[in-house]
Amino acid sequence: MGLVQREIEAAGMNTVTLSPMPDWTEAMGVPRLVGIEHPLGVTVGRPGDVATQTAVLRDTLRALIEMKEPGEVRYLPYKWQEMPGDPSLHPDPPPPITSAIMRRPWYYRKLMKGEIPEE
Amino acid sequence: MAEVDSYRFCGRATARIARSWIERERDPGRLIPWTPLGKPLSECTVAFVSSAGIAMLNDEPFDQEGERRNPWRGDPSFRVIPRTATEKDVRICHLHINPEFALQDLNVVLPLQRLQELVEQGEVGRVAEEHYSFMGYILEERELLAQSVPAIIAGLQAQEVDVVILVPV
Repeated sequence: MGLVQREIEAAGMNTVTLSPMPDWTEAMGVPRLVGIEHPLGVTVGRPGDVATQTAVLRDTLRALIEMKEPGEVRYLPYKWQEMPGDPSLHPDPPPPITSAIMRRPWYYRKLMKGEIPEE
Repeated sequence: MAEVDSYRFCGRATARIARSWIERERDPGRLIPWTPLGKPLSECTVAFVSSAGIAMLNDEPFDQEGERRNPWRGDPSFRVIPRTATEKDVRICHLHINPEFALQDLNVVLPLQRLQELVEQGEVGRVAEEHYSFMGYILEERELLAQSVPAIIAGLQAQEVDVVILVPV
């Protein structure tokens, strides 16, 4: 998403990413970044939690207005209360890459080196 | 200000891969593009870009079968999502997240209704008519950047969008 943000900003629009993995987004060199510790797939807040969703959106827009330097990062204080191992936070079945690595464990080392295996 | 743990919801294996990719990407010398905000938010048109793999029910789904055949390649195409879309109108085509949350309430990944409320309260100028989604599991980003992103940018510019909020999952 960080690379996409860079392109849109370079095209003359103001951009901000609301990221549940801000380390990753920041590494791409993005103009404005807001990090939030929410699970992947529930970035803005729980279903039906209008108050949190609104607050997160407002905070994101406020960051966009207030940030004056390219590369600024702001972390939002919202916390997810369930345990991280909560299975409902993960896809069932697991994504295809999981079983592909189980079949061919050496692919994991390739990925660690940034190499993308050919199937 | 509270810090955010980027890896809290990943498994250990995924977190290790993510850290190694992040270290390779990091380049402190890289120039960061910057467009100054030209007007108050209350006069801005705002659009979302989501990587949740959202497709309208009457549109073609993202190619998940292709990823099942070749787990290293995610579909790099994109879809247009109209301003009025809700969870009743969409599919979530993303094999790396549990889609149930977004199918209960689309605002968890694409907060169109929350943005509309901010417009009604005068905080934001306008919600763009069209928003954009792609499927975020893309290891090799060349096609996404060469084809989808220029088309998304053309769409944003045609709508005279001022502010884009990108929401990864």
